[in-house]
Amino acid sequence: MPIDSTLIAGRPARWDGVLDWCQMLSGLGLILFMWAHMILVASVIIGPGVMNALARFFEHTGLAQVGGPVIFLVFLGHFLLAARKVPFRFEGQKMIWSHARMMRHTDTWLWLVQVVSAMVILLMGSIHMWVVLTDLPITAAKSAARIQGGFWLAFYLLLLPMVELHVGVGFYRIGVKWGFVKDRERKRFKKAENLLTAMFIAIGLITLIRFWFLSA
Amino acid sequence: MQTIYTDVLVIGAGLAGERAAIEAGQAGLSAICLSLVPARRSHSSAAQGGMQAALGNSVMGEGDSPDVHFQDTVKGSDWGCDQEVARLFAETAPVEMRRLAFWGVPWNRVVPGPSIYYKAGKEYEKVESQERRGLITARSFGGTAKWRTCYVSDGTGHSVLFTVDNRCAELGVEVHDKTEALSLIHDGRTCFGAVSRSLRSGELRVYLAKATMIATGGFGRIYQNTTNAVICDGGGHIAALDTGVVPMGNMEAVQFHPTGIVPTDILVTEGCRGDGGTLLDVNEERFMDKYEPEKAELASRDVVSRWMTHHIRQGLGVKSPYGDHLWLDIRHLGEAHITGKLREVYEICTSFLGLDPIRQLIPVRPTQHYSMGGVRTDKNGAVYGLKGLFAAGEAACWDMHGFNRLGGNSLAETVVAGGIVGRRIVDHVQGGEVLFNSAVIDAEVKRQRERLDGLISGRNGSENVYKVRAAMQQALQKGCNIFRDETGLSECVASLEEILERARRVGLKTNGAGASPELYAALRIQGQVKLALCVALGALKRTESRGSHNREDYPARNDRDWLVRTLAYWRNPDDGLPVLEYEPASPSYELPPGDRGYGKSEIISAEQGD
Amino acid sequence: MPRLLKFNIFRYNPQDPGSKPHMDSFVLEETDSMTLFIALNRIREEQDPSLQFDFCCRAGICGSCGMVVNGRPGLACHTKTVDLPGDVTLLPLPVFRLVGDLSVDTGAWFREMYNKVESWIHTSKSFDQSAVEERMDNEVAEQIYELDRCVECGCCVAACGTARLRDDFLGAVALNRIARFAVDPRDERTDRDYYEIIGNDRGIFGCMGLLACEDVCPKNLPLQNQLGFLRRKMGITAIKTLFRR
Ligand SMILES: Cc1cc2nc3c(=O)[nH]c(=O)nc-3n(C[C@H](O)[C@H](O)[C@H](O)COP(=O)(O)OP(=O)(O)OC[C@H]3O[C@@H](n4cnc5c(N)ncnc54)[C@H](O)[C@@H]3O)c2cc1C
Ligand code: HEM
Ligand code: HEM
Ligand code: SF4
Ligand code: F3S
Ligand code: FES
Repeated sequence: MPIDSTLIAGRPARWDGVLDWCQMLSGLGLILFMWAHMILVASVIIGPGVMNALARFFEHTGLAQVGGPVIFLVFLGHFLLAARKVPFRFEGQKMIWSHARMMRHTDTWLWLVQVVSAMVILLMGSIHMWVVLTDLPITAAKSAARIQGGFWLAFYLLLLPMVELHVGVGFYRIGVKWGFVKDRERKRFKKAENLLTAMFIAIGLITLIRFWFLSA
Repeated sequence: MQTIYTDVLVIGAGLAGERAAIEAGQAGLSAICLSLVPARRSHSSAAQGGMQAALGNSVMGEGDSPDVHFQDTVKGSDWGCDQEVARLFAETAPVEMRRLAFWGVPWNRVVPGPSIYYKAGKEYEKVESQERRGLITARSFGGTAKWRTCYVSDGTGHSVLFTVDNRCAELGVEVHDKTEALSLIHDGRTCFGAVSRSLRSGELRVYLAKATMIATGGFGRIYQNTTNAVICDGGGHIAALDTGVVPMGNMEAVQFHPTGIVPTDILVTEGCRGDGGTLLDVNEERFMDKYEPEKAELASRDVVSRWMTHHIRQGLGVKSPYGDHLWLDIRHLGEAHITGKLREVYEICTSFLGLDPIRQLIPVRPTQHYSMGGVRTDKNGAVYGLKGLFAAGEAACWDMHGFNRLGGNSLAETVVAGGIVGRRIVDHVQGGEVLFNSAVIDAEVKRQRERLDGLISGRNGSENVYKVRAAMQQALQKGCNIFRDETGLSECVASLEEILERARRVGLKTNGAGASPELYAALRIQGQVKLALCVALGALKRTESRGSHNREDYPARNDRDWLVRTLAYWRNPDDGLPVLEYEPASPSYELPPGDRGYGKSEIISAEQGD
Repeated sequence: MPRLLKFNIFRYNPQDPGSKPHMDSFVLEETDSMTLFIALNRIREEQDPSLQFDFCCRAGICGSCGMVVNGRPGLACHTKTVDLPGDVTLLPLPVFRLVGDLSVDTGAWFREMYNKVESWIHTSKSFDQSAVEERMDNEVAEQIYELDRCVECGCCVAACGTARLRDDFLGAVALNRIARFAVDPRDERTDRDYYEIIGNDRGIFGCMGLLACEDVCPKNLPLQNQLGFLRRKMGITAIKTLFRR
């Protein structure tokens, strides 16, 4: 059942520690990126001008041209690293789902949430990045036009919660896995993290609404 | 059928068995331990309180020495013990504790400075010395002159057993768990190993060994209310008794612990009273200080159990659907102490009784706890009657406990005796070859096969094994408890004789396939009733009171006639009763019989004429 | 009126050719202070003598009686029926080999584990009979005992999704065992020695932080903290090893 070493073949066990660091750091990097990303996109709530200014800043400094592909690579790397842990065979899938159902244990379910959201993000995130990065520069107007087409609204309405859930759970998991959060603080940390996730989803929704009504 | 050869076969993987196996392993011999359960689940793991050794590191143990420990042990035994053995034990115990520390036991250590302790419900202060910082410390236990009980929080047995099993794993000592020894292979003179049954597959297996050891622990489960684990069912004793040539020593010496909880009979540690817990009656008043002004709750177990029973009989017990009980009060020890040093007690109360010992009283009553008697050995652990057979631990009657063992002395015995007997076993194995006689082996296997077939086919009858077992337990509980007398014991023996006949007619309701719990019970039932008869008949014949053996019709300790050890033989499997013989309690009396300093003091001394 | 409890119990005796895995139901009247220990023994003695399950101390200290009670691995002797609904489903612990019905073979699993993590003190010293014991701070002793309290019931392993997905995963119990030796000054093993054992996906880096182990452990061992401690310790060792080569 173990699927290790099929994806990153020939890897000796002593690399496992390094790969775990990479997995955590790539996740953390992506979290930071998503927060930055949110600042960029949600700035449209304040006004299209603000968003345009921010986008221009990224464009001029070359951050968008270089950063975009880099993020894409981190994104792929993170996927490859995290996928080592995901059961891709049928028995593995059956096992883990029935295990979660039997246990009725939230943290076990949360891992499945992470895996499922990850698959959605892999697909939709790639498409999204492709579309945006092949159509630079970023402006509030272009974005609004895309979203008002309808298809992209539905697209984001699905992607948004998936991303935020994945980020939220990922953040929580980094905290408990690496012992930054101790057993006594776990409950409180989890609550705070849930709240944060809900907040981010709300901001994202408001952003989308703003785009929907933004006249080009 | 599988046959396995080994230098040393140890039946039992508790502390005594594994400690002995380590000696074999260290000497380069091959050793296999058999166990009903994975080694670490053995009942030794349940001992919470601690083990005695005269290290004298705590201020409260100052001036302690093996001499004092020896005296406490002999007094505790009510002069029923073998004093050479008690001496050997007291001298060896400190080294053994240090050895355990070396192997990894996280003993609690001396913390310098003042701290508070409780005695008899009152607060006292003690100041530990700076210079002893970090040495193994001790707590107080019943029946001892000094604080001498080394402990690991309240998981002493657990931690020590884990450490000893770790050492076994390191040395490559094998443990074949889920394996029950059914009988010994012997020719009436020498023991060659054992026939066993796998509790995974149900298959029989033969173990052949140059030396065999019985370390199967107690047999408390022949009683109805016992603190013992469900696996303490006397399998090793039964195998030894079945040989016809090995005697059981002092089977009537059964200890009742003052604080088994009601209703589940789980033990709460003596440490509760050692740390200052008190016993209360229905009026929530203390009473032990009235009966025993000096030691009060901390008198030896037999004394406390007796006074508790007495007090209940005075009508001062607390009525409950499960019978009368008394209260144990540890509330004044405070939350930190109860959830720290007495955490297991706290957990037992909350998870099995649903009560909070920080605020509420704990229902307790005296409960069968320990068997002083067992497979009789000499001081080297060599079993009477068969060469190449040894025994140690609670299963053995080595006999350092006589008629009452002190709290903390039996866990210490397991490792001390395990070490000593283990070395004797190594000498024995290295001292000569053993020739295995295949006719003897085949005959024993055939006998066991037939026994299994008989039970499964139901050709002996169709008695229900569980009903027979319950009848036996009730008979003992009724007639052979804390207080004993001629009438009760005679009745008990008579009904057990009848129950033995029923046990011979047991047949299975199921097909006995695989591990079959029903077959497991059925394989033991005859032997268990025989053990019960050894207990009851020994008690009936012993017309005195000594230690835990209390005859209401003979209240005095009689050193003139009864400074002896009972030896019970079951000469012929079809016999209805054991044959009793007697031997002197001790080869010499370093500490002449005298007053214990607690308990009742009526003594008929050896010099007294008729 | 006492409740009637319905027990749905997994049945299968691999040693009996006529036996197939299935569920059986038994009905019992609830009594005061009833635990699953009392209930199961009554079922065996009164209704079906072939029912297999493991109890030993029946006091929550030996770890024999782990089973899945209404979905959660736990100690059966420790489980009061008043805390359960009227319908109780009992399954054997997963991960471990089934012996029959509710009984599983934890012994073999744990023996293998001891050998993998070398669950004993590694020291170059030898014991000196005549010397006084080496000193140790009581606090350190208590810290060790805190981790030594594990009763090897196997619940943390059975509850762990990772352990169920990959059979070579050591499980929280083994990782906790390493932590126990890591805090013990008597064990001379270095971080790099420990790294050889658990510095990989079979060990600490395989753990996905599901924390079911922490949540089911009947002895409330601080597994989450220990796993975090080990991941950091081994993570740092991984980096050091990388640069030292
Ligand atoms: C609740 C409780 C608390 C206690 N607390 C203390 C204390 O604080 N201090 C103290 O000094 N003493 C205490 N005692 C007593 C002490 O724990 C025991 O006397 C001691 O642990 C016995 O150890 P042992 O090695 O002889 O046997 P055990 O540890 O009982 O081991 C017996 C072994 O034999 C095996 N076995 C049994 N039958 C068979 C068979 N037929 N075939 C194969 N294997 C078999 C078992 O599987 C087991 O491995 C306590 C006892 C109880 C019941
Ligand atoms: C291609 C899409 C992605 C996939 C397949 C994926 C998959 C996974 C999986 C399976 C895990 C769990 C790993 C474990 O617990 O050991 C995980 C963890 C994580 N993911 Fe992703 N992810 C993807 C994208 C993202 C993105 C876009 C982000 C951030 C915005 C992200 C952030 C995280 C974080 C923070 C963790 C926790 C890291 C850890 O536990 O060490 N992931 N990811
Ligand atoms: C460098 C890469 C990226 C760029 C330049 C970028 C840019 C943008 C832009 C311009 C928008 C506005 C909508 C539009 O124009 O269609 C947007 C929205 C969005 N992006 Fe990205 N994005 C990037 C990567 C990602 C990644 C990796 C994810 C997650 C996996 C993601 C998730 C989203 C979501 C969920 C929205 C909707 C926003 C909301 O409702 O707040 N993006 N992005
Ligand atoms: S860590 Fe807890 S759950 Fe795991 S085996 Fe030990 S006691 Fe059981
Ligand atoms: S449940 Fe398993 S994945 Fe880790 S946190 Fe516990 S070992
Ligand atoms: S029987 Fe020992 S823990 Fe349940």
